[in-house]
Amino acid sequence: MNHLDPVVEALALTKRYKDHTALNDVSLSVAPGTVLGLLGRNGAGKSTLMECLLGLRSADNGQARLFGKPALQINDHDKAALGYVPQQTDSLLWMKVGDALTFFASLYPTWDSHLADSLLQRWNLDSKRLIQDLSPGQRQQVAIIRALAPRPRLLVLDEPAAALDPLVRREVLREIVELAAEHGSTVVFSTHILSDLERIASHVALMHEGRLRLYGELDQLKDELRRVRWPQHSTLPALPLPGEVARRPLAEGGWSLVLNLAQAEASTLPGQASTHSLSLEDLFVELAA
Amino acid sequence: MTLHIEPSAPDPIYRQIVGQITRLISAGTCPPGTRLPSVREVAAAHAINPMTVSKAYALLEAQGLLERQRGKGMQVADNHQAVTPAQIRLQTLQPALEQLARQARQLDLSLEQLIEALAPLMNDVEPHEGTQ
Repeated sequence: MNHLDPVVEALALTKRYKDHTALNDVSLSVAPGTVLGLLGRNGAGKSTLMECLLGLRSADNGQARLFGKPALQINDHDKAALGYVPQQTDSLLWMKVGDALTFFASLYPTWDSHLADSLLQRWNLDSKRLIQDLSPGQRQQVAIIRALAPRPRLLVLDEPAAALDPLVRREVLREIVELAAEHGSTVVFSTHILSDLERIASHVALMHEGRLRLYGELDQLKDELRRVRWPQHSTLPALPLPGEVARRPLAEGGWSLVLNLAQAEASTLPGQASTHSLSLEDLFVELAA
Repeated sequence: MTLHIEPSAPDPIYRQIVGQITRLISAGTCPPGTRLPSVREVAAAHAINPMTVSKAYALLEAQGLLERQRGKGMQVADNHQAVTPAQIRLQTLQPALEQLARQARQLDLSLEQLIEALAPLMNDVEPHEGTQ
């Protein structure tokens, strides 16, 4: 496998649960070293996408590829290079924190025990306590240590920050980017905390109702996407404008558009249209409202 | 050197860093030879991606504002005045200009009225460059 080949890929993934379409023709390709932040409202398909990418769930159509092969067919060697922190973890509740980590260390040839010990200490986790006696946030921290310590080639985290206090959250963010920057690992994480994503993500993917609505480099999206207020008295073409990403009618009349300036043509905009830069939160509202 | 990073601002973080360092240098707060914190230090202090900091430093280097010292990281370049074109200095004002334009539109002021109000301000001699 070439060092520039995508680490993980979705090829036209579709997944249905009874009458609900969780993933609708989702394609994306994640290059090595990428830190991808997944955004979307609850039920947008983020967790299903991550599970399909990891080969934990089969898709109805399309294919997920991991380390260059079908995600459903990866071997034990590939699995040892994966780190995954699901939204909730309730494994090994009856074990002590330290014993659980020793057990995991035996499963991973690349386990960094120095890192595991230093994180335990910095996060004030008592290795002698039973996992079932920990708070949900502390259990999450143990799961994160478990995922980080093997220095995985691909780290996937489903809302890692949800149960964490702000200080630990910051520490977790630091460790995640360090893994990517120092070890060239690839990271995919979902979050509702936009400022976390904006701190560490190199790329952002926005899911809405099972579809991938936006995918790109975060800096580039912020540089190139603009909100355009289209005045009420001027007719908006029914077909999308060049570079159009989204449109919605405004309560007070007129339209709000999101355009990619790199592809937009100034001549297609009416004179009174005004352009505004967008924060990621603004973008989220325009695309997922 | 203390950088102020707002992850949620519309301005990407690398631009925020470029803008702040450019202003610190042009205001004389960071004279030539000033050592910059390493990419790792900035990234760790703000819990941001080191690639973002590298990108900002590389841009500043390309603009001639910073120079790479072998084995010592980045420092403020000696000859930055001569090599900083007006176009790039103007770019650092872009966020402020966008905000001004937005507020002016909300107040229904014309470009002519704005220029009229701005012109005398440009001729004022200010003792300090305003920083946020």
